[in-house]
Amino acid sequence: MANGTISVIKVRGILLVTVPPDPDDIAVCELQEQVLQAMARHSAKGLILDISMVETIDSFFARTVSETAKMVTLMGGLTVLAGMRASVAITTTQLGLSLDKTLTALDVDRAMDMLVSALDGTERTP
Amino acid sequence: MSSPYEGEMAIDTEYDIVMARKAVRTAAVALGFGVTDVTRIVTAASELTRNIYLYAGSGIMRWHPVSGNFAGLELVFEDQGPGIADMTRAMQPGFSSGNGLGMGLPGSKRLMDEMDIVSEIGKGTSVRIRKWLRR
Repeated sequence: MANGTISVIKVRGILLVTVPPDPDDIAVCELQEQVLQAMARHSAKGLILDISMVETIDSFFARTVSETAKMVTLMGGLTVLAGMRASVAITTTQLGLSLDKTLTALDVDRAMDMLVSALDGTERTP
Repeated sequence: MSSPYEGEMAIDTEYDIVMARKAVRTAAVALGFGVTDVTRIVTAASELTRNIYLYAGSGIMRWHPVSGNFAGLELVFEDQGPGIADMTRAMQPGFSSGNGLGMGLPGSKRLMDEMDIVSEIGKGTSVRIRKWLRR
């Protein structure tokens, strides 16, 4: 349960957000809002959602995460979902949830590499 | 709650969905399910308690061990809500009568070994799901 205390860290223009293990629906919605506000406040270009602690992803959670990624895109940012557990990947797919338009990485380290190289690329284009 | 294996809880608020997930996780772990099956069972419970909250407003979840060829866990979700008008459509992925994703019923069925639904218009709905321990 997160009482509005979601950890948001900014590293090299990228926001790193750690999703709590078992958030209720309200916490999931709050997380979305806090993340979007933090994107604007920090002029961040990228977002990493670290879900390595998350034990269950149901349809509500998945929808909110994929919506958040879309919203971040509208704000000119790029989102990577990092650290999904094997059991969660199996369950999410069998449940029939689609997160296929969301970029994913095995862990935060790789997510950071992905974003840094993607953002480097965009900066060089005039 | 004397035993982790069985119990009953009211589903009245959004937060009860989290409490239901916790109770079901405890029961499934205590019965010896592996991490992937625990996740499947907890996710199905999350979907079905959310259905109660969204469509009926309130209801109850009961859980207890069952035995057949294997040992297993059975969960029952009951409400006195509007009932399901078209069961065939309700079981189709992507169909929702409300503002859900339409994944709850067909998705939960895929995650579990067995699922039975009894629903009567204006009376309510009862969903029974089972997962067997295979060893």
